[in-house]
Amino acid sequence: MPRNLMLALAALSLSTGIHAEVLTDADEVIARADLAAYYGGTDGRSEVRMIITDAQDRQQRRQFTVLRRDVEDAGDQQFLVVFSQPSDVRNTVFLVDKHIDRDDDRWLYLPGLDLVKRISAGDKRTSFVGAHYFYEDVSGRRPSDDSHEFVETTDAFYVLRHTPIDPQSVEFTSYITWIDRNTFLPMKIEYTNPAGNVYRRVEVFGVENVDGHPTVTTSRVSDLLTGGRTDMQFRYIQYDVGLPESVFTERSLRNPPREWLQRPEN
Amino acid sequence: MKPWPLLLLLPITLLAQDDPWDDEDWGDDDEAAAWAGFIEAGLGTRLHSDPLLDERNTLEEVRWRIESEWQPGAATVSFKADAAYDGIEAGWDAEIRDLTAAFTLAEDYDIKLGRQVQTWGTGDLLFLNDLFPKDFVSFFAGRDDEYLKAAGNAIRVTRFSEMINVDFAWTPVFEPDVYLTGERYSFFSPLAGENIAPRPPLTAVEPDEKPANGEFALRLFRTFESREIALYAYRGFFKQPTALTANLEPTFAPLTAIGASLRQPLGPGLLNVEGSYYRSRDDRDGSDPFVPNDQLRMLAGYEWEARPNFTVGLQYYLEWTGDHSRLIDNSPSPEFEPDEFRHLLTNRLTYRAGRDKHTLSLFTFFSPSDSDFYLRPSYSYRHSDEWSLTAGGNLFGGSDAHTFFSQLQDASNLYLRVRYHY
Repeated sequence: MPRNLMLALAALSLSTGIHAEVLTDADEVIARADLAAYYGGTDGRSEVRMIITDAQDRQQRRQFTVLRRDVEDAGDQQFLVVFSQPSDVRNTVFLVDKHIDRDDDRWLYLPGLDLVKRISAGDKRTSFVGAHYFYEDVSGRRPSDDSHEFVETTDAFYVLRHTPIDPQSVEFTSYITWIDRNTFLPMKIEYTNPAGNVYRRVEVFGVENVDGHPTVTTSRVSDLLTGGRTDMQFRYIQYDVGLPESVFTERSLRNPPREWLQRPEN
Repeated sequence: MKPWPLLLLLPITLLAQDDPWDDEDWGDDDEAAAWAGFIEAGLGTRLHSDPLLDERNTLEEVRWRIESEWQPGAATVSFKADAAYDGIEAGWDAEIRDLTAAFTLAEDYDIKLGRQVQTWGTGDLLFLNDLFPKDFVSFFAGRDDEYLKAAGNAIRVTRFSEMINVDFAWTPVFEPDVYLTGERYSFFSPLAGENIAPRPPLTAVEPDEKPANGEFALRLFRTFESREIALYAYRGFFKQPTALTANLEPTFAPLTAIGASLRQPLGPGLLNVEGSYYRSRDDRDGSDPFVPNDQLRMLAGYEWEARPNFTVGLQYYLEWTGDHSRLIDNSPSPEFEPDEFRHLLTNRLTYRAGRDKHTLSLFTFFSPSDSDFYLRPSYSYRHSDEWSLTAGGNLFGGSDAHTFFSQLQDASNLYLRVRYHY
């Protein structure tokens, strides 16, 4: 499997602008999409800002830096999210140990109380710091949580429908993903609720090549029922920065690792 | 009179709003200090008056928070302070919550020096091994939860390693809890046999300021897979003035504590178990009625998301007083002494709606052994990144006048706070 993975990765980095062969296995497409969206390089960093717009057009803003480290490609990962804006969440830190074979471990550090709060496993398809993004969207939904089938393959996209293995654990009955055939990045996702309506949409508006990795730089989540949305921008993106495992521990909650949070000069 | 006119200044800062998206401003990444904080007005009032106190309100303040951070060299200097006009104490009050220098030594040692808020342990609003100072006066008045933790002047050294992490906090001068003095709330006095509100307000005798009277707190901790394990030790004093001097003045008895905790996922939620043994150094055999006895404190809790956005947390807590029969035999007022076993159940219900815009919460303390309770309902509304509002209550009750929550019956209050973040 590691060799196949290496080939997949090699194909991934070469595939930009080249039409690879047409894939027909939905599980393989989703595995490559998962790698493309969440496992670029062995680690990475990015600054992120979100504009949250509610149905009345009122806006809120969040800004944070994300550090990511892959324990294993398509396997366990670690995330550290350090907030800088707005002032009431400044220095709040979110740590995720993402596991493939069990529930993720998640901690939130609240600086006002000096409190390391742990978040229970069930609590993942709820708003991430007031955004239309969910906690689960930060670290990615496990491909094995859903079953996957082809809807169609167009010139540009693999279109897949995903059905949750455990329908009780989620608010949707299914979702459809438009996966770019070149980059394997999911460019659009639409979620259907039990009433049969598309109520949530994720769209990618900007993709840039960063260190050979096609990378999302602008995206939006829309709540189609209320009319609210969250826009997200990614900047100062770097891959393979050499993040050590020790960055992803309780130490970084109380004392965020400045060395690794510092903005790169580019 | 009262400084409400301060609030008129707010619209000036509001003019500084701009379109946050089109600009290419990602903020500075240099070491320049950014000032932030909030202005908050709070009002809390009793459901019924306390016959011992003239003041009907429990909260009546305008509070200004200012905070910043600098990074000179490899160190981080943090500053966070409040200035508040308190209508109940009829005066201005300034408090530094954070003034620290933090730096790393020899890669593995994180040092933090100065005035700081510190927290450890696994309980939710129940503290066993966390013997850092707490401010129950703020907590009962309806101030933000963060004020439950009081700041202390301390040196904190944390060493990180693969084997085990070691956390050491030295507080050179004992920092007691902010305790009930009779100024804002009356409290039960076993000597008087009823609630009192002394004038001048009660001041407890604090330990002499000498090195041996400092507080030493130690935590060894490690995470094994998803399981967090910690061992604790403390040498200092009981944080509440529960002892009496020879002159019958309230004071703080010497305390040594050791404990352990565990926190891990279980089923759909999180389990926490914690225990601590409180060794009362001046009353080893439990016969001195003016000094608290040894106690074993145990806690078990479970929290899970019962429905999307609806979280339930349950805790069972036990205080087992050692040598209890000796305490009763020697006490001048045995009817007011704690039960041998004090049981406490807590329940936290949290419901968040509209992407955390609205938070409804109810925290319940209920003691079947003391037959008393404390309810903390609250509603928070986050209107924008700048404006938020919290309304809630602190409701106390019980059947015996002397138990912890029951003595605060006349402090039961409803409050409202409006906050502007800048």
